[in-house]
Amino acid sequence: MNRDSLRAFLLLAPALLTLGVLFLGSLVPALLQSFGYFPAAGLGEPTLRFYREIIAGPEFVPSLLFSLRVSFVSSALAVFLGTILALLLDETGKGERIEALLSSIPIIVPHTVAALLVLNLLSRTGILARVLFSLGWIASPAEMTALVFDRRGTGIIAAYLWKGTPFVAVVVYVVLRNIDGRLRETALILGASRMQALRHVALPLLMPTLSSTFVLLFGFSFGAFEAPFLLGPTFPRALPTAAYSAYLNPDIASRPYSMALIAIITAIAVALVYLYSFLSARKEERI
Amino acid sequence: MNRFKEIGGRVIPGILLLSLLLLSPVQPLSANEWESVLNSSRGTRVTFYGWGGDPRVNSWLDTFVALRLKERYGLSLERVGMDIGEILNKLLSEKTAGKSDGVIDVVWINGENFFAARQNGLLFGPFTGSLPNFRDFVDAEAGDVAFDFGFPTEGFEAPYGKAQLVFFRDAARLERPIGGHADLLKAAKLHPGEITYPAPPDFTGSAFVRTIICDIVGREKIASLPADKDVLRVAVAPAMEFLSEIKPYLWMNGESYPASGSQIKNMFEDGEILLGMSYTPFLAPGKVKTGEFPESTESFVFEKGTLGNTHFLAIPFNASNKNGAMVLINALLDPEAQASKYDPAVWGDLPVLDPARLPPERNALFESIVVGKGSIPLRTLLEKRVPELPATFIPILDEIWRETVLR
Repeated sequence: MNRDSLRAFLLLAPALLTLGVLFLGSLVPALLQSFGYFPAAGLGEPTLRFYREIIAGPEFVPSLLFSLRVSFVSSALAVFLGTILALLLDETGKGERIEALLSSIPIIVPHTVAALLVLNLLSRTGILARVLFSLGWIASPAEMTALVFDRRGTGIIAAYLWKGTPFVAVVVYVVLRNIDGRLRETALILGASRMQALRHVALPLLMPTLSSTFVLLFGFSFGAFEAPFLLGPTFPRALPTAAYSAYLNPDIASRPYSMALIAIITAIAVALVYLYSFLSARKEERI
Repeated sequence: MNRFKEIGGRVIPGILLLSLLLLSPVQPLSANEWESVLNSSRGTRVTFYGWGGDPRVNSWLDTFVALRLKERYGLSLERVGMDIGEILNKLLSEKTAGKSDGVIDVVWINGENFFAARQNGLLFGPFTGSLPNFRDFVDAEAGDVAFDFGFPTEGFEAPYGKAQLVFFRDAARLERPIGGHADLLKAAKLHPGEITYPAPPDFTGSAFVRTIICDIVGREKIASLPADKDVLRVAVAPAMEFLSEIKPYLWMNGESYPASGSQIKNMFEDGEILLGMSYTPFLAPGKVKTGEFPESTESFVFEKGTLGNTHFLAIPFNASNKNGAMVLINALLDPEAQASKYDPAVWGDLPVLDPARLPPERNALFESIVVGKGSIPLRTLLEKRVPELPATFIPILDEIWRETVLR
C-alpha cells in the first residue's frame, strides 16, 4: 500500500467502521435468527425450515411480485418524468431557481409524510374525490375508483413518484449542465434536429446517470416499509410490510420468519446491484 | 483509577440490592413498606408505554393522570405511545442483551401479549397484592381479573379497564338494526362497499373476527379445543365461509381492509362507511357529543353478545423505576381515576373496581356519570358479554383468516 492510499484508507476508516458495525451488527444476528439460531426463544438448531416455509407459503410469490412491480413501475416512471423535467428546465434556462425549489420540497419531506399526503389526496374521501363529487362526477365515496389500498399499488407508486421525480430531475439537470455544450452545438451545426441531438448526443451521455438513479430508486423502494404499510392492500403485502408483521407476531418463536424475509429482501437487493454493476461494466468494455 | 472507583461505587451496591431482591420471596408490601415506596419514588420520573392510537386516551393520561401523579405523589409521568408488539420486541432485545436498567416502567398489555411476555419472563411480579387500591377495591378472584384471555394473571398485571366490542351504525343511512351475522350480510348486500372491518391482527379486527366465530359457531364449541391450527381451522370453518361470503359486498369488494380500528373511526366520520366497531363501548356517544360522529349514530351489540376483555398494566422485569411504576398503577386504580376514565366525554372505558367493595359515596361517582345518547346501557353490555377465547388462539385465528378469507 503506498502512502496516498494508506492516507485515504485512514481518512475513511471512521466512516467505514461505523457503517460496518451498524450494518454487520444488525445483519449478522438477523441472519443467525433466520437460520433458526435464536436462544432467547429456545431455538438453537440451525435449519432452513423458515426459508422453506416462507417460500412455499401462500403469500410469498404474490408479495414478491407486488414488491418488484411497484418498485419497477415507480422507479422507471420517476426516471422518465424526472428526465423530461430536467430537459425542460435546461431548455427554459430558468433551471437554477426552480431546481432549488424542487430540491427543497419533495426531497426533504419524509416518505411517511409523502404517503399521508397521497392518502389525503387520493383516498375515497380525499381531495380528488371531493373535487369529482362537487363536479357531479361521483355521487358517493363508494363510486370513487380505489387509488389507495388497491392491489395495483397505485397509491404507493404515486408516493414514490412524488418523492422520486424531483430527485431524478435534480440529478439529471446537474449532469446535463456539465455536458460539454459544444457537443450538442456541433450536432446542430451538422444538421441534426433538436430531437436528434437529444437522442444521439444528450441521452447517451446521460445513460449511466439514468441507470444508476434507477437502481438507487429501485433498491430503496424495494426495501422500504412506510409507503406500502400506509397505502398498500391487505393482500398481497409488500415484502418489508410482511416482514414487519411477522416481527410483531406476539409468538416470539415466529421471529425467524421475519428475519428470513429480511434476508431474502437483502439478497434480492444485493443481487440487483451486482447485476447492475456487471451490466454497466460490460457496456464500458464494449465502448 | 478514579473512574474505576466510581463505577465500582455504583455497581457493587446495585449488585447487593439485586441479590437481596432475588433472595427474598416476593411478598405483598405492608402499609409501612408502601409508605417507603411512596417516599422513595417522590421526585422521580415514571414512563408509561402503551398503545397511543386514541387522542382522547392520550390526553386523559397527559392531563388528568399526570397532574394527579405530580400533585399527590411528586411523580412526573412520561407517556410513550408504542404498539405492544414493538414493546415486547424491545423488552426481549433488552433481556437478550442483559440490560438491567430498562426505560419502560409501566406497560399497557393483555391477552396473547401478556401470555408471550410471561412465557419469556419479561415481567416483574407478582406485585398487585402490594397496591392498596387493588387490595381494597378490586375483586382479585373475579374471572376477568384472575384470568386474561384464559391465562392466569397471578399478580403480574393489575386491571386497568374493561373493554367490549361494540358496533355503531349511522341509523339514518343504515336503517335496520343488526342483531347478528345474518343481518350484517343483509345490510352489506343492501349497501355494497359501505361496510367493512379492520384486518386482523389489528386488535379490533381480530376481535371482530372472533365475535363472528362466537356468533356462528358458538364460544363453547371452540374454547376448550387445543391451540392447534388444523383443529381450529376445521372448527371455525363456518365462520370463515361466512366472512368469504360477505367479502364481495364489503368496502373495496373485500380486496383490501382498513389496517386499524382508528382508520375505521376516520372512515365512519367521513361517511365512507356506515358501520363501525370499537373496543371502547362508549366511544360513539362521546364522538356524537363532540360532533365527529353524526347525531344519528346508534351503538349496538349482537343478540348473542360480543367479546369483552380486561386490559391490564404490568411492570417489565428490568423497569428502572419499579416503585414509581407501582405508585402509578395504584393511582390508576383510584376510584376517582376510574370514574373519570368511565365518563364517555373523557374516554368511556369500563371501570374494574368491584361496586360491592366501594363505599356508597365512591359508588355515587360512577352513577353520576351520564353515559349519553345512543349508547348501550351498562347492564345490557354486561349481559351480552362473551369472554375472550384463549390467548394462544389469537395469532392462529388471525393466520387462518389471512389464509382463507383474505386470499
